[in-house]
Amino acid sequence: MIRTVLAFFALALAICALIVFRPFSDSQDAAAMDPAPDVEVTRAIAPADPVVAPVAQSTAQTPRAEPRRPETSDASMDDMTAAVLAELGFETEAPAEPSAEEAGIETTASILASIEKATGQQVDVAPRQTLQTLVVSALREGQSDDYIDALVNEAATAGRVSVPDVMVTADGRVDTAVLLDNLVTHAIIASGGTVPEPSVDPTADRGVEVRVVQRAQDTVQARFYTVQPGDSLGAIAVKFYGRVDKFDQIYEANRQTLSSPDLIRAGQRLVIPELGA
Amino acid sequence: MNRLGFALVLAIALVGMARAQDVRITTFKGNSNFVLNGQSFKIDRIQDPDNILTGEFARTSRECPPFCIQPMIVAEGVATVGELEVMDFLETTASDGRGLLIDSRLPDWFASGTIPGAVNVPFMTLEAENRFRDDILVALGAQKTDGGGLDFSGAMELVMFCNGPWCGQSPRAIEALIDAGYPAERLFYYRGGMQAWNQLGLSVMTPSTEG
Repeated sequence: MIRTVLAFFALALAICALIVFRPFSDSQDAAAMDPAPDVEVTRAIAPADPVVAPVAQSTAQTPRAEPRRPETSDASMDDMTAAVLAELGFETEAPAEPSAEEAGIETTASILASIEKATGQQVDVAPRQTLQTLVVSALREGQSDDYIDALVNEAATAGRVSVPDVMVTADGRVDTAVLLDNLVTHAIIASGGTVPEPSVDPTADRGVEVRVVQRAQDTVQARFYTVQPGDSLGAIAVKFYGRVDKFDQIYEANRQTLSSPDLIRAGQRLVIPELGA
Repeated sequence: MNRLGFALVLAIALVGMARAQDVRITTFKGNSNFVLNGQSFKIDRIQDPDNILTGEFARTSRECPPFCIQPMIVAEGVATVGELEVMDFLETTASDGRGLLIDSRLPDWFASGTIPGAVNVPFMTLEAENRFRDDILVALGAQKTDGGGLDFSGAMELVMFCNGPWCGQSPRAIEALIDAGYPAERLFYYRGGMQAWNQLGLSVMTPSTEG
């Protein structure tokens, strides 16, 4: 009897949580799938060490027995891009709203302040970074793409920053190329330019496959893509559509095999729908 | 004559004072005074015997779920307390810096009125999904260990409350704290919450106006 009651109670709580705190639901999923729950604990012991030299990247890339996946957040690539561009002085299409990440930092800071006020005990907390502040400062310093890649990956695997899940590659790294590419694309749009159409050449690009499918009335071209090591869903969206924010078209078309945008695997075959189809 | 007038004024004043103490907390306790980190707080009861509840806390039938009736004991090892224990806790444990009264509700509820001396830690910030949870736990007295875990041997005693018996937020916060490793014997559940607090006409603090 009491077990049943407890089970119902737990169920009700879970439903409440889903209804009331929808913004958390994504990260909940990510957390549930995170094979390394101890990711959090290494963060914040020391403030972010200045930087890993790009050389360190090669060691980070070598496959480990239990690769640690970067922590993902529900921040969308668009919000993140808009925020970075806004900080760099571009007029962006969408006003940058505080991301879930920033909101979390703000909430925590105010809680800590009120605890401190009540107890009078100083709380030492390592300064927080976000992906946005990390990238903006690196870009301001004029750092190379390789440097930014090493920097972001180091911070993400240590759990110090969380990244949008479309940026996670098949081998569990952060695809900073797609991040930077997206920044360039949006900077071009923001300054009134047009983005060149992507051209996918099925004969030249690895993993691309075009099939002609005969239907009752007509024939259509179906495109498939086999995920290559190092691909992120965002990168695949850029490859086919030219814009990372179209990733959800691919994600939606492959929901049966893809449980979360950050969980693509090398060798996985994805359907690439036509835009607007 | 002058003497008589003075005596009369004194008698009226005494009767007035006696009237002002008509609604006491207990026979031997008129109010609760305590100081948290230099800030003093006072809890007493509304003295108007005709005062009744209006607004949010006069409602009887909120939708369940989510506003469901909570059990008396929410977790093993977590004692459930009432108003007197809450005030005693504030006067002793919290005043000594060994404990905190925690309002688990969302900030807008907290801002609309809370128990004097309470600190707002919204329940979801204590759940595993919050990447900054460890920072809050450290602020509550946990220590980071070399292995990267948390040591709760110095953790504060916490009295958790929310809107009352129809509010699941403090039970959720308690569950989350226990999941994080917080010792159950240092957690207390004030089930009556703001509902019972208001029902008894006890002082409510509005943090936004009192800074």
